[in-house]
Amino acid sequence: MEVPVKFKEMMENQSDDDDELEKISEAFICCVCRDLLYKPVVLACGHISCFWCIHKSMSGLHKSSCPICRNQYYHFPYICQKLHLLLLKVYPSAYNRRENQTLEEEKDMGYFSPQIGGPDYQLQPEQKIIKPSNASVPCFSATDSSLNPCSVRAGETPDRIAHVHSGPVHQDIGFGNLLDSRKDTAATSAPIAEDRNSNQIHCGGTCKQASVDDVLCDSCNHLLFRPIVLNCGHAFCICCIVPQTSEMLKCQVCQSPHPGDLPKVCLEFDHFLEEQFPKEYGLRREALQMKHEQFQTESPSTCSSEAGKESFHFSFSSGEEPLPWWNASSKVHIGVGCDSCGMYPIIGDRYRCKDCVEQIGYDLCKDCYTTRSKLPGRFNQQHTSEHKFEIVKSTAMHNIMLRLLRGQLQDVSAVSDALHDTSANVIPSSDNTNEDEENVADATLPSSETEANESENGRLA
Amino acid sequence: MVDFARVQKELQECNRDFQVSGIKVTPKGEANLAHLLGTIPGPIGTPYEGGTFKIDITLPDGYPFEPPKMKFATKVWHPNISSQSGAICLDILKDQWSPALTLKTALLSIQALLSAPEPDDPQDAVVAQQYLRDYQTFLGTARYWTEAFAMISSLGVEEKVQKLVEMGFPEDLVRTTLENVGGDENLALEKLCST
Repeated sequence: MEVPVKFKEMMENQSDDDDELEKISEAFICCVCRDLLYKPVVLACGHISCFWCIHKSMSGLHKSSCPICRNQYYHFPYICQKLHLLLLKVYPSAYNRRENQTLEEEKDMGYFSPQIGGPDYQLQPEQKIIKPSNASVPCFSATDSSLNPCSVRAGETPDRIAHVHSGPVHQDIGFGNLLDSRKDTAATSAPIAEDRNSNQIHCGGTCKQASVDDVLCDSCNHLLFRPIVLNCGHAFCICCIVPQTSEMLKCQVCQSPHPGDLPKVCLEFDHFLEEQFPKEYGLRREALQMKHEQFQTESPSTCSSEAGKESFHFSFSSGEEPLPWWNASSKVHIGVGCDSCGMYPIIGDRYRCKDCVEQIGYDLCKDCYTTRSKLPGRFNQQHTSEHKFEIVKSTAMHNIMLRLLRGQLQDVSAVSDALHDTSANVIPSSDNTNEDEENVADATLPSSETEANESENGRLA
Repeated sequence: MVDFARVQKELQECNRDFQVSGIKVTPKGEANLAHLLGTIPGPIGTPYEGGTFKIDITLPDGYPFEPPKMKFATKVWHPNISSQSGAICLDILKDQWSPALTLKTALLSIQALLSAPEPDDPQDAVVAQQYLRDYQTFLGTARYWTEAFAMISSLGVEEKVQKLVEMGFPEDLVRTTLENVGGDENLALEKLCST
């Protein structure tokens, strides 16, 4: 049955009172929650959604698919910091509303999304951002060269937030500062008054204008042209990413490897840039066309229809398609994701942090463990490099799942027993880990049941 | 927990272009947004043309990450819809659901299903058999069912409401009951008496 897709039917007017003055561009409405994107995540297919919307729509059992195009993926990408700050600047009051709303939900859940600008994102080499603005602003984007908001931001906020430990209260403080500094810079930076198309997207009024400095490529430091967002959340022009046939694609900023194919252009972001900065965007296009004629590079792939044919395939250590979770020899860790690369569920060996106290825990896949990844947790865990890891065998979970499905497991004590029977290398288990593992088992239970129901229903359609 | 903020937005969005699509979603009760009633017009050029089909919608706790539960409240003769229970066989309401789909897009898909039956993957085997073996009879039955169950002129509804109110039932209850049973006066009376 073909689905008559009309995904982009967006609200013309936000009914919420505080949003009335900020007409939100269709491009920045999340397809899942139908609200302004909050902590946007860009999938490999180029589609954007909120951090939590993507996380909730992922499957803990097998590959997840994009809500919009059903493109399959394994890795939960990092939040795109560039888009996050852009939205915060352009729609301050709506974004704040979303922040408070999300924070309430997070308090209820007990899980928190990463703080942006805080320690989570210190993997960015500082000098990259603090470059003197005059030098970094390209010659053709001459509209605003007096003040670079990036440098202000980089100088101020990470330092302040670095003292913060955890918890929602601190997040408030962090964001307050962030917002203040954003407001300052927005006021002082030269408005791009001559921008012809500015009124098309925003109604003016209280809307803040984005400046070119907010949307520079992390590599060439020019206005992003046909932007691509990698798994780590960094954004580059498509032409700034040099595909290497032999190795995995690596982010030029944080050096973290990008799993899977070369991502597709984030078209919503691209259209926004084109509309918002028609002059600069045009200049970029011309400049690149000239280059293009010289090098005759291949045309960029977009998220239109055909799958990207680039050939960097992420190997799951074994190099082959993983077995489904119900297979006895599979190494799928149901409902557990890698906090470094975002692989969800973890396939292969799973390394669990013994020292992280957060309910959600901190886990790494084998690749990330062996590379001694320094990336922070996906859910604001206060993980440090001193923490110790233990290996967790997937069979433990697998056995439990099977027994749960057969209804053999009645009490929770059996779960922890089973876990200790089967997880071989677990080093002396404190009560703490014990409880956590029970939580993990509990958390995965409902999803397994629904999955079982689904498979019972079969493919009726 | 159902994302009611999103449901609220969906309702606004859907009912705004009711004039164009003819598709409407309304809450069943005042307080509860988890039970809704969808209305789709029968597609033109099909035996369902002219009918107005009511669809009973229940939102599971996981909505929009789980598909909404939908079934026909109006009786309909179609290979992929149970003539008994109104259950719908449609992939996007099962494993092909995506959180980017909405109640409106789901209803549009059901409308599309009405105009393009899939007899090879039936929900109602009797209807599917008839569709494959004796298409003319199928058309006749489908047409008859549409006329009998899906065509309620607004005047007709008012008359029924009037009649039932005169019997001593409160008007609000009469209207909702009538809607729930797809406009069948006798069924409504039965239900009203039993409650």
